[in-house]
Amino acid sequence: MTTAPQAADAAEVTEIDTSARWPLLLLLGSALLWLVLSGILALANLVQLHTPEFMAGCSALTYGRLSAIQETAFIYGWAANSGLAVALWLLARLGGAPLRSLNWVVAGTLFWNFALILGIAGIATGDMTSNAWLHLPAYVLPMLLVAYGTIAVPGVLAWTGRRKEMTFAAQWYAVAALFLFPWLFSIAQMMLVFAPERGVLQALVAGWFVQGAWTLWLAPLALAAAYYLVPKITGRIIPSYDFAQLSFWTLLFVGAWTGGRHLIGGPVPAWVATIAVVSCALLLFHYIVVAVNLRGAFCSGGSTVLKFVAFGLAAYVAGGFLDAYTAMRGVAVHTQFTHFSEGQAQLALNGAFSMLMYGAIYFLIPRITGLAWPSVPLIRAHYAAALTGTIVLVVTLIGAGCVQGHDLNTAAIPFADIAGHVRPWLLAATAGQAILLLGNLLLATHLFWLAAAKSAAPAVFNPAPTMEASVS
Amino acid sequence: MKNGFTFFLGLFLAVALAWTGIVMGSHVQLGHLAPYFDENEGKAFPERMPGIAAQGQLVYQDLGCAACHTQQVRRPDFGSDKARGWGDRQSVARDYVSQAHVQLGESRVGPDLATFGARPLAVDATRLTQYLYEPHGGMPAYRFLFEERKITGERSADALKAAAPAGYEIIPTHRAVSLVAYLQSLNNVYEYPEARPVEPAATKEGESK
Repeated sequence: MTTAPQAADAAEVTEIDTSARWPLLLLLGSALLWLVLSGILALANLVQLHTPEFMAGCSALTYGRLSAIQETAFIYGWAANSGLAVALWLLARLGGAPLRSLNWVVAGTLFWNFALILGIAGIATGDMTSNAWLHLPAYVLPMLLVAYGTIAVPGVLAWTGRRKEMTFAAQWYAVAALFLFPWLFSIAQMMLVFAPERGVLQALVAGWFVQGAWTLWLAPLALAAAYYLVPKITGRIIPSYDFAQLSFWTLLFVGAWTGGRHLIGGPVPAWVATIAVVSCALLLFHYIVVAVNLRGAFCSGGSTVLKFVAFGLAAYVAGGFLDAYTAMRGVAVHTQFTHFSEGQAQLALNGAFSMLMYGAIYFLIPRITGLAWPSVPLIRAHYAAALTGTIVLVVTLIGAGCVQGHDLNTAAIPFADIAGHVRPWLLAATAGQAILLLGNLLLATHLFWLAAAKSAAPAVFNPAPTMEASVS
Repeated sequence: MKNGFTFFLGLFLAVALAWTGIVMGSHVQLGHLAPYFDENEGKAFPERMPGIAAQGQLVYQDLGCAACHTQQVRRPDFGSDKARGWGDRQSVARDYVSQAHVQLGESRVGPDLATFGARPLAVDATRLTQYLYEPHGGMPAYRFLFEERKITGERSADALKAAAPAGYEIIPTHRAVSLVAYLQSLNNVYEYPEARPVEPAATKEGESK
């Protein structure tokens, strides 16, 4: 990786990239602000976990609310904004034509983020619902749905109006994510918030929604980026590409059935959990194909973008195997209801999703702005912090979960003692989260530095070749 | 995948199948579940929550108590829920039929609360209210559910035994009172026909070994 100008590749940046500059920068800028905010909140939340008196007097930031706000800011703030930006850009590039109706993206992004701020203020002041991944109060949900639709419109138009009949794996994943989320989201709103189901059916709908939001929305968004970046940067075709299609449909058809693994032993029909266990095993096929298809990422050849992608892919595949392992009843009895599950969630969200998005952002920004990243060491520092932070966070949460699971299942250990046994692990997890936050601050600062440099000194503008050399 | 129609049909089916299977499948099985009428006792279980407890459930929800507490007891041979005194039988779907907001929870940073109302701490409302005011090990104090009020005339009967500035007393707000009522109402102990405890059959295992 170097910032030194190299020979121009005229085809690398076209109107497709530059025409979408401002809408995509708006999405990515908001995404990064949410990322930093959710990182700060996650840190405070972890501190509360081992030092409960921290901010205990503040009703808006009591542990339960803060945890819901953090989760919402991460998923609907960071993940949605960044995932949409990357998906739109990929669909435009692979469709071979500039995005149309970009004003809709701008309007949708503004409304989406406004609704989110309103919703988070609602959670802080007592309007939270009790559904995981859907804590947002009822009054912002329809606005979010409409805003999402307007942002996604240009993506769907890019797919339907594509210049080439042939499609690529990156497009399948991106279109699936754009198309399926509004559907999942509207069903979940209806069945959980506006006309709630009776009794434990609420928990079943919530479980289906959370799993669906991961396997039919966030994971496809991240995979779209990976399937685009790896062949693009390595310049090699995807090995065993024939299997990619089968793997895609496996994720879509089997993925959403795995949600019941969180309800093992719960007051729900036993078949729900059994199907989830079987589906987790079936889904391994998908993870194996992803690993085989994209193994090129692990021979990064000095590309920092690919280093992010490689880590993200490793986390994604490892997470899939870990899900299948912990879905088994004999294991679930120890890991259920513990920090282990939180560790798995962080592996998926911070390890897989975020890392793939970081890679995509480092690749995408220079292409849409026509500017090279101002500092290569800053990118390397972000990589080091994201890598270390994620590993420390995930490993310590899993460690805490093992200790907690053992203690919970040993009735001789008084419940009050468990917190003390878990505390050292949680302290280490806090350190991991702090490192992660530091890395994300670097990324956000870097992006705003890049944007500011442009407005302050237009002469800084670098032609495409510099940027090409600077990112891969 | 050149055919756009087939592709979108596939996407449609992917969501529709999982939804039909998990959500509608369970709905068919559990949607008609009604409270169980016990002729000996002359009433149906689970009993309806008193109004104040239903308000308390909203407090429980909006404070995000479910982030640390589950409300589901696992069967005696699956985990140590019974040994910890969290319930003699596993929770069943019927336990929740009359709840407007089911909060099964996914984390046990704090103990399970499905049968909390039957525990010594919950039996005495004053003691439980006091408990919410003070920090306890892993659980923070919820002082914002209380107000510091100037004593006018006699001390209020609801005042906590807590240190307050001279001339002031600590009074639980309506939210605290309703939360306590809700916690006291959590008492899934009635033995439904489908909820008979499945004993781990330790002796059988011993025999086979």
